[in-house]
Amino acid sequence: MRHGFLSLLRKDFKLMLSSKFLLLVFGSLILYSCYINFFYANLDQDIYPVYLYDPLGTESEVSSDVIQVSSISELQTVCADGYSVGIDVSGGEPEIVMITSKIESIDRYRAAYALMLLSSDDSSMAEIVGENNREMKNRREITCEFLFFELAAVGFLGLASTLFKEKQMGVIRVHGIIPISKTAFILSKLILFLLVDLLFACLITIINLGFFDGISVLPDVLLQSGILSMIMVLVGFFCAVRLPDFKQFSLLYLVLAIFISTPVFLAGQTGIDWVWINYHPMYHLFMGMKNAYFATPSVRIVYYIVSAVAIMLLFLIVYRALIREMAKEG
Amino acid sequence: MIEVHNLTFSYEKNKQILHGLTFSVFSGEIFGFLGPNGSGKSTTQKILTGILQGYGGEVHLFNQVLDNKSKELYEKIGVLFEFPYLYTNLSALDNLNYFASFYPPEQRRDVYELLEVLEFKKDYIKKPVSSYSKGMRQRVSMARALINNPQFLFLDEPTSGLDPTGAVLFRDIIGQEREKGTTIFLTTHNMMDADLLCDRVAFIADGEIKAVDAPKKLKEKNSNHEVEIDYLYQRKRSTITLEMQELKAGIPFAHDEIISIHSKEPTLEDIFIQYIGRGLS
Repeated sequence: MRHGFLSLLRKDFKLMLSSKFLLLVFGSLILYSCYINFFYANLDQDIYPVYLYDPLGTESEVSSDVIQVSSISELQTVCADGYSVGIDVSGGEPEIVMITSKIESIDRYRAAYALMLLSSDDSSMAEIVGENNREMKNRREITCEFLFFELAAVGFLGLASTLFKEKQMGVIRVHGIIPISKTAFILSKLILFLLVDLLFACLITIINLGFFDGISVLPDVLLQSGILSMIMVLVGFFCAVRLPDFKQFSLLYLVLAIFISTPVFLAGQTGIDWVWINYHPMYHLFMGMKNAYFATPSVRIVYYIVSAVAIMLLFLIVYRALIREMAKEG
Repeated sequence: MIEVHNLTFSYEKNKQILHGLTFSVFSGEIFGFLGPNGSGKSTTQKILTGILQGYGGEVHLFNQVLDNKSKELYEKIGVLFEFPYLYTNLSALDNLNYFASFYPPEQRRDVYELLEVLEFKKDYIKKPVSSYSKGMRQRVSMARALINNPQFLFLDEPTSGLDPTGAVLFRDIIGQEREKGTTIFLTTHNMMDADLLCDRVAFIADGEIKAVDAPKKLKEKNSNHEVEIDYLYQRKRSTITLEMQELKAGIPFAHDEIISIHSKEPTLEDIFIQYIGRGLS
């Protein structure tokens, strides 16, 4: 049995090599790392400029980052860019003047930041939850995004391409009449793709976060990668077995990439606040990954229970789909 | 070896494919399963090999109820599919070593020896299957079916895609397997294969077995016992058809030379058409 399973693993590895999947993974790793190191890590966006109109001199302890203006019209002019934040204290109480970003949560951050600069009172200062500088924040953010994309989309595609090959060759049904269980047939692919995904997660994290920062978040990143990888491999397996050809699969892949992953990235990486996103399973997987990268791992037991149940259910669905495929006509 | 009793199967509701098949395959025989397309041959074979579940009736294989989760069952059987399903990116050697690895080492046949018996071109052994002709692929498929020294061999159209020499070779190999004691379940369209190889044949049509017997007996039962004689008399060539009984006392007509005597016994195909009402294609 053990020898048979090793044969399955060896055969799947050869198929993986012949489908150029490893080349694609290695190429992606180089491309992502170049982008992160030569471009995104150094991306520097200035914090919101804050302007103050205080003709009566009410505010005595103002941060040096605040720029004073001499008239209300000047304040309105400088805030017309939609990015700067103005504070009008001419009426005695601070009033925020700004063009809305149309995203409520971002407007709230802008206003809170501006008001914080007016006071030297420690109680109103932002709480420091980590020691990331801007570059490290950028690195964690984009590495998380690339890893999520790689596992959700590229791994999914890689598995499907090898399985479609086996389908075309008709060899899947041969495995129905040899003394190896269908479970072993699924497990060998699952384990192989999981190992490749974990290796990829390891490399992309250490290369782009640095050795010590990478190692410190690696256990939780690997845990989240493992969950996502198993789910995506099983979904890919099911789709590849059920769909008649690679063309239809490509269409599904596009739908998945555009209509499912895009809202998750938008909700997870920007200030966009959608209530319905909480019902999107991929959003939770993405946030799990993001939390792992920012060293604030998720400890919600429900999340892990739901993930485990989802993996088991998907495995059973794939098992049934495989039996149906084996019984198909030649 | 195989006992099938009242076997029924439906792919969908109200679309029954098999309507209560009952037949036996005895140990050491070659049992031919003949039927036109859509008659239920492949479905029956899939049930017997444990690929299809959800059937009605009883199926016993090796004196045990068919259990598709039994590893022992799959160690004892070999299956040749109608099409040569192989890993085209791998060589014949890699394919056979891969499939052999699932069987106990003492049961496996030597890959090189097997390919030699199948007259496989040696210089192609390590080349990828994608570069093989259909006949070569069929040879590798046959080698895969035999790699575990099966006690029961399921063959689906074994000579399809082979040239006449290859077809003769395959018939010889199937004959050798029978001599070794292997029981063979042969599904075919090829009446010559069935006639030459099978100890018994079953005719199946519309999910029902119409007849089961030895090809020779089927032919005898349905023969009109006539012979056709081609002869010369006074330099004129003529043909006459006689009842075999009439030949008991010698040739009952004037002749100078008998050119040929042919039995007018029907072929297996004639019998098949007689039972089924149409041919195999």
